[in-house]
Amino acid sequence: MKEIHELNLPENLHYTKDHEWARKQGDLIVVGINDYAQDQLGDIVFVELPEPGEKFSEGDEFGTVESVKAVSELFLPIAGEVADINEDLADTPELVNSNPYDEGWMIKFKPDNPADFDKLLDRDAYLTMLKG
Amino acid sequence: MRRALLLNLPLTAYTAVLELQRGSAAARKDGRLDRDLVILLEHPPVFTLGRRGGKENLLLPEEKLQERGIDIVPIERGGNITYHGPGQLVCYVIFDLRRAKLSVTELVSSLEKVMIKTAEHWNIQARGDKEHRGAWVSQRKLGSVGVTIRHGISFHGLALNATTSMEPFSWINPCGISGCTMTSLSKESGKAVDTELVRRQMLGHISDIFNLELEPIQIEHLKKITGQV
Repeated sequence: MKEIHELNLPENLHYTKDHEWARKQGDLIVVGINDYAQDQLGDIVFVELPEPGEKFSEGDEFGTVESVKAVSELFLPIAGEVADINEDLADTPELVNSNPYDEGWMIKFKPDNPADFDKLLDRDAYLTMLKG
Repeated sequence: MRRALLLNLPLTAYTAVLELQRGSAAARKDGRLDRDLVILLEHPPVFTLGRRGGKENLLLPEEKLQERGIDIVPIERGGNITYHGPGQLVCYVIFDLRRAKLSVTELVSSLEKVMIKTAEHWNIQARGDKEHRGAWVSQRKLGSVGVTIRHGISFHGLALNATTSMEPFSWINPCGISGCTMTSLSKESGKAVDTELVRRQMLGHISDIFNLELEPIQIEHLKKITGQV
């Protein structure tokens, strides 16, 4: 288990209290789980994602990540509609462990209200929460 | 040692405790439950399906189970199909993992360890398995692990066969592994096993392994906290 100072948490990303990361891509938001989450979970064997077109409300579960015998639920503090999912994770879920911020991305979604992006934590605020 | 609560229950219906677990996990998250909680109990016969299902590993038509009065309950935990029934000690851990400084993998390994240490009292050498999680005696499965993490709080946990009837396991591929044989403390030790004694042994190891000082709580009190009265 990594110490907080060992975590790879890029400055240019935003984070949630449940250890997801998010970044803007045009009018979409790209989401995955961060280094803390993948380290906590251990080897990921399955990623369950929604279908493109699915809508979810603020705080809804949008998927799960399964490491051996443990299912962790994924949540977003933003309402929106799923635009795209990372199909590669069906066959290679381990990308979430090896490369959580690039090849391990999970969903892209269109937020109902783009300003909701500001509800996410920046790196410093996320780190403060982690230490707290 | 951290102070934690212990809900020690007799044989209790699966779905009743499922709601209590979910309620407790929510209460732990928002602070109404100010300490981690361990629930120890046995269930009447029931099959549960993991997050990814497991009905394909049911080897008997569902109607046959219904005739016997055994329900199949789909739930959110990791893992595949499993059986719970009298003589199997089930332990649920509602832990705030970050406060407990436990990673998910450490939690799963620790639950295996609780079962392995308990088996030692009966001169049974069990081991964990990194790929097929649980407590194993040679190729036979003595106990299972399956947890869910919701907003950083764990629930579900472990199931250790003390004197469990092995017959219902023959109706499924336990944990989705074909050819997986189940076993129990009584079967492996060849002795009469007192489940009350196994409960005490397990609680001792839960306390040691998770470094917990367990304080009993009554179910009515817990339901009041979770708002499930």
